[in-house]
Amino acid sequence: MGIEEKVSEEFKKAGIIPLKIESPFADEVYIDVKAEDFKKTCIFMHKRFNSPVMAYFACDETATANDGAFIIYCTFESIELKNWLFIRYEIPAGKGEYVSIAKEIYSASLFEREMSEMFGLFPDKSPDKRSLRLHEEVWPKGQFPLRKDFLREIKTSVSASRYVFNRIAGEGIFEIPVGPVHAGIIGPGHFRFSVAGEPVVNLEIRLGFTHRGVEKLFENRSPAECLKLAENICGDSAFSYSLAFCCAVEKVYAVTVSENAEFQRGIFLELERLYNHIADIGGIAVDVGFSFPAAYAAVIKEKILEVNNEIAGSRYLKGINVIGGIKSGIGITQRKYLIDSMEEIEKDFRELKSMLLSSVSFMDRVDGTGILDKNTAEDLGVTGTAGRASGISMDLRADFPGIYLDNDFKIVTQSDGDVLARLNLRINEVEASIGIIKKFLNILGNENSIHSGNTNARAGYGLGYVENWRGPVLFWLDINKGGLIERCKIVDPSFRSWQGLALAVPGNIVPDFPVCNKSFNLSYPGNDL
Amino acid sequence: MDKIKLLIQVLILISVSPLVSGFIKKIKNIIRMRRGPGLFQPYYNMAKLLQKEEVISENTSWIFRSTPVIVACSSVCALFLVPVFNTSVAFTQMGDLIFLMFMLALGRFFLALAGLDAGSAFGGMGSSREMFISAFVEPAAVMAVFAVSLSAGSTSLSVISAAGGTRLSSLIASAALFIVTLAETSRIPVDNQETHLELTMVHEAMVLEYSGRSLALIEMAAHIKQIIFLSVISLLLPLSGVLFFIIKIAVLAAAVAVVEISMAKMRLFRVVDLLVFTFVLSMIAVIVSGMGV
Repeated sequence: MGIEEKVSEEFKKAGIIPLKIESPFADEVYIDVKAEDFKKTCIFMHKRFNSPVMAYFACDETATANDGAFIIYCTFESIELKNWLFIRYEIPAGKGEYVSIAKEIYSASLFEREMSEMFGLFPDKSPDKRSLRLHEEVWPKGQFPLRKDFLREIKTSVSASRYVFNRIAGEGIFEIPVGPVHAGIIGPGHFRFSVAGEPVVNLEIRLGFTHRGVEKLFENRSPAECLKLAENICGDSAFSYSLAFCCAVEKVYAVTVSENAEFQRGIFLELERLYNHIADIGGIAVDVGFSFPAAYAAVIKEKILEVNNEIAGSRYLKGINVIGGIKSGIGITQRKYLIDSMEEIEKDFRELKSMLLSSVSFMDRVDGTGILDKNTAEDLGVTGTAGRASGISMDLRADFPGIYLDNDFKIVTQSDGDVLARLNLRINEVEASIGIIKKFLNILGNENSIHSGNTNARAGYGLGYVENWRGPVLFWLDINKGGLIERCKIVDPSFRSWQGLALAVPGNIVPDFPVCNKSFNLSYPGNDL
Repeated sequence: MDKIKLLIQVLILISVSPLVSGFIKKIKNIIRMRRGPGLFQPYYNMAKLLQKEEVISENTSWIFRSTPVIVACSSVCALFLVPVFNTSVAFTQMGDLIFLMFMLALGRFFLALAGLDAGSAFGGMGSSREMFISAFVEPAAVMAVFAVSLSAGSTSLSVISAAGGTRLSSLIASAALFIVTLAETSRIPVDNQETHLELTMVHEAMVLEYSGRSLALIEMAAHIKQIIFLSVISLLLPLSGVLFFIIKIAVLAAAVAVVEISMAKMRLFRVVDLLVFTFVLSMIAVIVSGMGV
């Protein structure tokens, strides 16, 4: 039974009649529904496949399509069907409102806010109408940057409107504003704590300070041109971003990547995971003032960066991917070096792990701090590292295994959802990654042909996805007949997880916030785009 | 003659006090496999700060501007009561250990006020935490002082150090004072001098608004306060004389560095457990000294 039939079976059960079901790729299904069925369908998909809204975006086709409309896509991940389900419907161009699903599916709410400011499509009865990235204080009203008729020349200016923070009132409650400029070298974000003495009652996070209009920058450029752009969206995930982008383009172009290149990409992806996870483990130690293991972790991280530089010529794994494969593979002599380095890193890491987990003063700080319970995480749609630490068993490497299939990859999860769980999860993933790298190197053996497939430009749309060290990175691309990108939608794992942080902190004391924040270590540029 | 000697002693201690901080930092960095800044970095910092322009918030009152002077003066004043090289009578007439504790408390009181004065969220947070911690530190410190005074028969430091001899009670009291020192000099596990995270700061948050010369004065006061505590402990320990004094200060400073490296900072409210423990330790010292050991 084909995927289309399976999906239409499901719809029959739910009593919804879809307009059309098509499956252009083995792992994507597009389901067109009537506008009035959209909400019902989304709720059904959300419950049936137990998936948060993975992506929810609009495309402006007012100029290109015959009838002129905005197309809305709402994406769910079905682990059961091993497919991405895109629920799609049209909003006529003149109509500025659509049905909000955020009240029923909370993980849609940020996407709806995003759509309102980017497209001027306002959800009716939406619970939260505040802007997300285009701050009211400076952004001119009535300008919607992702619409095709948006003029890039528009300048920002100071306006009178102000963002309204949620206010907690009561005796002895006061607010601590922190940021967007911080003491360390980190991204900008504003954190508004409402506290009663030291305990935090409410935390609101306001982001968007590094919004660069990335999705707009992709438009009207060729995919080859955009590779560098994709790579530089989020510096700590340079490889996974470029990989997700390449996957999307390869899908549309129908390019098959050689297995050898796939495995090498897998190695780089795991190397990226390694250096970031180890840096985070060290970061957690820094934030509780435990400086010796922090220094130790820094040494291991540096070692990995040197390995990266040695085998890829780039410490942060840039410039490796090309559309259709990888630029130059890991040489035969370098493979031996990589294996030796992995042994060394494994040994050092074991040392670091025992240092942390055997320290009473350290464990006292992390155990039970910043708990994000599973239900909350599911409702918010927290995925990736933070989600798995709260017991959400979701990992694209297992859901859509590909090269991981025959290598008995197992999802690592933790159940407690506190800082310790996120730390333990990272420790387990580091150990697993080292194993995966060794295995992939074994499979590669001395095979060294990384001939990249022909890139025959085609028009079409498709989703590229990668489970990076933070979680799933999604790139949805629509390439038009001229070979240029019509629309690019990027979803960073941080986008929904930031709210997880905001809900994990209340109940903890103010000085524990930094370690909670570090244990999530979410991305500012990935969120702000 | 005594007065001149006293003055010389105080000047020497003031001038070496930043070196002790540099020394602690150096040891920490060596353990962490890092080169770290040089021993004299605190002096360079001081020189840098003295040359910098000072920024003072418009919303502050006279308290904010006079606090650095008050804090520095109170520390120097307290330093006059520590007989390191000379245990003559001149000291006894000026004030005793309890006066020394109150002198330091005066500086802290003004620092806490200054933290609130600028009206920034961090300053207020720092002040509240500092006072919270000091409410537990001061009783422990005063109790330890009582223990040694009981056996010496006087609260004057010069009498106490002149009494000499090794007593179990003064060893226990100096152990308690060591923990007090960690808390008073904002070291791990109570506070963390090295952090950049405003939300976790105690002492640093309080002085976050200061810059330039005022900050230099406050930092100098902190160095002096540190050397006062280390000197008091070393006076309670056996072996006297200038050479032994230097050795004892170095060993104590190294011990501070090792403690800082080997553990994580405690959760703010967990600090109470440590300080209550310190208080109990001081109480034991009092009981032991009452038993005449």
